[in-house]
Amino acid sequence: MGRDGTGPGPHAPPGARPRPLSGIRVIDVAGPFGAYASRLLADLGATVTRIVPPDGDELARETPRVRVADGHASAFAWFVNLDKELVALDLEEPAGRTELLALLGEADLLIESWGADASGSWDRADLAVRFPRLIVVSVTPFGVEGPRHRDAATDLVAFAAGGLLSLGGYPDREPIATLGQAHLAASIFGAAAAIFGLIARDRDGNGRHLDVAAQEVIAAALEDAIPQFDLTGTVRRRAGDTPREAGTGIYPCLDGYVSMVAGRLGTARAWRSLVAWLVEAGAEGAEVLLEDAWDSFPHRQRTQSVTTFATIFGRFAAQHSKADLYSEAQRRDIALAPVNEVGEVLANEQLRARGFFVPVDIPELGRSVLVPGRPYRLSDDGVFEPHVARVESAAVPRSPVRDGTEPTYAGAPAER
Amino acid sequence: MTGPFAGIRVLDYCWVGAGALVTKALADHGADVIKIESRTRPDNLRLAPPYRPGTEGLEGSGYFASRNSSKRSFALNMRHPDAPAIARRLAAESSIVTSNFRPGIMERWGLGYADLSAADPSIICLSMPMQGEDGPHRSYVGFGSTIAALSGLVASAGLPGRMPVGTGTHYPDHVPNPGHALVALLAAMFERARTGRGRSIEVSQFESTVNVVGPAIVAYQATGRTEPRRGNRVPDMSPHAVLPTAGEDAWIAVVARDDAEFRAICEVLGITDLAGDARFASLEGRKSNEDELERLLAAATERHDGAELGTALQARGVPASPVRTPGDLLDDPHLAARGFWRRLDHPVMGSIAVNRVPFASPSDDVGPRSAAPLLGEHTREIAESLLGMSAADYQDHVDRGVFE
Repeated sequence: MGRDGTGPGPHAPPGARPRPLSGIRVIDVAGPFGAYASRLLADLGATVTRIVPPDGDELARETPRVRVADGHASAFAWFVNLDKELVALDLEEPAGRTELLALLGEADLLIESWGADASGSWDRADLAVRFPRLIVVSVTPFGVEGPRHRDAATDLVAFAAGGLLSLGGYPDREPIATLGQAHLAASIFGAAAAIFGLIARDRDGNGRHLDVAAQEVIAAALEDAIPQFDLTGTVRRRAGDTPREAGTGIYPCLDGYVSMVAGRLGTARAWRSLVAWLVEAGAEGAEVLLEDAWDSFPHRQRTQSVTTFATIFGRFAAQHSKADLYSEAQRRDIALAPVNEVGEVLANEQLRARGFFVPVDIPELGRSVLVPGRPYRLSDDGVFEPHVARVESAAVPRSPVRDGTEPTYAGAPAER
Repeated sequence: MTGPFAGIRVLDYCWVGAGALVTKALADHGADVIKIESRTRPDNLRLAPPYRPGTEGLEGSGYFASRNSSKRSFALNMRHPDAPAIARRLAAESSIVTSNFRPGIMERWGLGYADLSAADPSIICLSMPMQGEDGPHRSYVGFGSTIAALSGLVASAGLPGRMPVGTGTHYPDHVPNPGHALVALLAAMFERARTGRGRSIEVSQFESTVNVVGPAIVAYQATGRTEPRRGNRVPDMSPHAVLPTAGEDAWIAVVARDDAEFRAICEVLGITDLAGDARFASLEGRKSNEDELERLLAAATERHDGAELGTALQARGVPASPVRTPGDLLDDPHLAARGFWRRLDHPVMGSIAVNRVPFASPSDDVGPRSAAPLLGEHTREIAESLLGMSAADYQDHVDRGVFE
């Protein structure tokens, strides 16, 4: 891709246009909660410079870590730093701070996780005076305002503070987290905030500060649990390995597990299709599901119904692989999918057919690995050819210094 | 309309999950989002609980209300032969068209990107098909929970020897898919304001979700090994655990990033003998004896109030938080100070709590503006103001079942 951010790149198909954020310059000093935000901006054509200390990127400590020739490296860091330029600067030293301030003078966006520690040179009010067009996006566990903004959090702690942890796990054990998600979730909305800032700046000419809290991103993801408590006073609890109703949940099969939703919301037809499948296949005991009572959603939600269905489906599924169940269920318009391990995701037929995974050479490994393609496809877009970030120099090539008042996209109208 | 997106109109065919959260973000920022549905085919989410007791029905779903704030509703029966032409007129008055139907449906109505962009090159179309517009599984059906399973997320969460559990929710619908779609849509809006040209954006919900499994996918290829499910544990921090606190089903997440934080945890809990126990002095020791470590810690934490313990640990710089329940979050002084929840008046449900988009923008007028619309609440005003219909013309469309 066009790493200078000015074009669709050397291997762009005919008709490819400059990427939406081409010409936008981003400085990334974020921690693990914010690092994927600037990766998403790089995907969209922005030029991202990540500042790392001389002794290495703090992200190299993040899980999952893998063994490499000279110690350990972080697969998280490889993934979130794709297509960034890494620049080593010692921000403990005046020279390093001066250099970063010079970079900020040419930047459109700063993504940071300093939170309450944004003092001295990085005081946000000072930055706003010095760089009135700079958009500063803070991505932190609890935000930079509010009584708990100084609290510390890791990924697990943010998942707990946002409440999603209360919905995961088995009823008989402690709640179980889906690890890594608070980091990435906060970053996704960090990227949204950043682009919102760019749009707003084009309208009024002003930079601004945007404050993304991982706790809020997670708290916005509690499904029906907030309105359930608000409207009924009922606290939703984790259900874990117990299906929520007959036809909806995770079920064991011959070689693993499948996840299914049949009968919820507008999928009454899928429930009937599921029953027809089980009866046609001669599944033991399936005839009982033909009784009228089972057409009723409340009946299918009863504990006894959940258990009866799980027994019938479990006996059937125990004889079939998840791949076979997947294709036959989908042929019948039933939302069933295999519970895939990572290796199975890499082998997925649909992703392969769409050319989703792309190879990236990882010098520390001495070979290439496949990484997920962009999370969306744009029309008239260039090819995705990502590169692993490496510290290439301690100094950055400079573009002519802007005066801080002109739009960064020369020759284009600022308003539609 | 006020707010940063005032003047931007969105014709919205995003139903149920992920898509509705994308257009909520636009609407809460002041865009005029016109949601199309009908009594023949309402957004399925209107049929989903929770309901306040006594207000069950199409207009009473708290689930629907939680992700459709600030939108307008236009009741248009797309199965009526006259409906697609009306929809195309609404599209001509809009600069963004969104949908999450199966591939081909918007095209059949003349609402696909090729048709719309021929008439208006600045149009932006967002489609969110489950597995993409092409490929052998393009017509496969799914929900957030099945996409999470397909993507490897579900398998990553659970205890050793037990069934994998994932988040217990339709997580892809709530974070990666609306999030990635919003990022792409905002980027296209930014680009259009500068170049005058729109884009078509396709978010395969499967591919979007695989991105949040990205680090594990890379690690798997580097190590050649599928990581076992480990509950809440990680290789390089210990404790990294969810421990019981006083009360029923009350828990706290506690993490020691280094030895000093482990000692601080022991001091706060008043179990300093544990801090001096040679077995637990180093990360290696704590990892080797983690079952015993967690058992001893749990015996201490369960005597403490979770909120007080969280505050005491944070005072020592230890990352810790009670596992917050929905009620805790609605009452949380921190979120309240940040204006995260807003109370909106809904004509059927009464006062309901709705969250703002999860980024605070102190310089801008953002946040939920009005409660979710009743089905067809704005059909008449939109027909008259945008389509220029007379009252008689509007009534004719109602009588013929086009607007219903």
